[in-house]
Amino acid sequence: MTQLLEIDDLSVQFAGLKALTAVSLHARSGEVKAVIGPNGAGKTTLFNVITGYTQPSSGRIRFRGEEISREPPHLISQRGIRRTFQNGGLFGDITVLENVLCGLHTRTGSGFFGLLFGTRGATAAEREAVARARSLLDMMGIRDVEDRVARDLSGGQQRIVEITRAIASDPSLLLLDEPAVGLTPPARDQLVEVIRRLAGERGVGVLLVEHSIDMVMKGSDLIVVLNGGQRIAEGKPDEIRQNKEVLDAYLGYGSGYSGDSRA
Amino acid sequence: MRGKADARSLAARLGAGPWPVYCTLILALLVPLSTNQYTQFIVNLILVYVVVAVGFNIVIGNLGQLAFTSTTCFGIGAYTTAILMVHVSLPFWVALPGGAIMGAIAGVLASATALRGIRVYYLAIITLALGELMRWVYIHADTLTRGTDGLAVPVANFFGFPFDSEIKRYYLFLAIAVAVVKSTSNLLRSRIGRAIAAIRDNELATASLGIATGQYIIAAFVWSGFVVGIAGGMFALLIGRVAPESFDLTELIFHFAMVMVGGLGSLAGSVLGAITLTALPEFFRSLPGLEEMLFGVLVAVVLLFRPKGLASFFAAFLPPFRQRFCRPDS
Repeated sequence: MTQLLEIDDLSVQFAGLKALTAVSLHARSGEVKAVIGPNGAGKTTLFNVITGYTQPSSGRIRFRGEEISREPPHLISQRGIRRTFQNGGLFGDITVLENVLCGLHTRTGSGFFGLLFGTRGATAAEREAVARARSLLDMMGIRDVEDRVARDLSGGQQRIVEITRAIASDPSLLLLDEPAVGLTPPARDQLVEVIRRLAGERGVGVLLVEHSIDMVMKGSDLIVVLNGGQRIAEGKPDEIRQNKEVLDAYLGYGSGYSGDSRA
Repeated sequence: MRGKADARSLAARLGAGPWPVYCTLILALLVPLSTNQYTQFIVNLILVYVVVAVGFNIVIGNLGQLAFTSTTCFGIGAYTTAILMVHVSLPFWVALPGGAIMGAIAGVLASATALRGIRVYYLAIITLALGELMRWVYIHADTLTRGTDGLAVPVANFFGFPFDSEIKRYYLFLAIAVAVVKSTSNLLRSRIGRAIAAIRDNELATASLGIATGQYIIAAFVWSGFVVGIAGGMFALLIGRVAPESFDLTELIFHFAMVMVGGLGSLAGSVLGAITLTALPEFFRSLPGLEEMLFGVLVAVVLLFRPKGLASFFAAFLPPFRQRFCRPDS
């Protein structure tokens, strides 16, 4: 398992509000690491900083040993870091197939004039991309909706399409921001299996922000707990389950931890 | 036997292909059989506006930016073509691409405002102001443009072959319009068209896929300006006179209406919108005074009942009318 992402002492401040304070976090290939914490803990901010949408106030982010914290999102993505969005990042007015093809954009190597004149090489590259997108849709079990306009799908299917699009170009690090929202329990189990397979078979490193405790416990190798912008714990699911501080901050309120509760 | 198999595969290919497109093309070639000089002029004008709508729709519909650049690029294309023919004595087949390139440059300048994050209302008002500024330039740069009198454009001539009748101009314009529609279709159905549509739907998510969004915003403005610039050159050749009043706000509203009535972001919609809105007012000519009102009513009715334009109406039962951003069957 090679070290992919190294975050050291990362702080983010928005006009006086400390969203993240001195957070350190590492991600390795083939490992699923869940990032959990109550609302406002800084989970999405963490993802936004890693992917270049938010600038850190201090600290460093290295990917494969190179500093990436000042790069724009599309260059960070081209390094092999892909993400999904909490509120859904699908392109609503185009089809499922076209959405996944967008994920293959950087791999469809043809230039403006080739595409304009429809040269043989450009058409072949497009055809190859369609074939690859279809095999991905097959793998994720959503080939039957390839011609549907994305906004017409159910919330759960939209999540799956977004993940398919994110993994289309074989990223080495995948950031999933609440991928299980709107999924039925069987669909959630299926998603866990997909994530497991991506990590296990393809060696993708996964960072997972998720509120479904059930999914976090089943789906991740390690759990990082954020609270109020600070990292309060890191460990295996079993350890986190018994961590006093975590239980107080996060699982403790309400009726406490039960099998599939959603905090 | 071999020939039979070939014939069958050809039939199969035609059947699988966009047959409404082939039918339209064949009918288009036969149009001059049924026109007189006046109606042929109107048909030629339709072709000019098909090219305008195709170009304008890229920025308004596909990129989804409220950038009213069309009369600017249309005027610059027309004036550049006319100026190059009159003052530099260049043949039309050099002058018209020159107009297109100037249209593309105008597009780049407009995109600079969109790139700086100046969007929606601001982009709309800036581009409207730019259009009015250009009209002021046409009026006051009168050594080049002959001011409000307008600049007379000579007959287009291709190595001794003059395009001096409406029918000759028709075939020239048809070839240009087909080339523009085909190449735009190629672009829209490729990674470039997808990236542009993706930016419209969710710009942040587009960047997360490694797509350099700024590059594609510029590309959309450049191709849009280039195409509308071509239309400007065609307009100059068709009317034979380029004058500032042809590029005013009323003209811009007409361009916008074509795209809206045809269908935002739909290439087939651009063509349908241009045909409908250029041809229909001709039927209202017999009702003087009611023309503008009927035009307004028509636009309102279409948008009330078909907010996604005429293309969406046809797309329901004719798949080729649906705008795709890939080539799923090739």
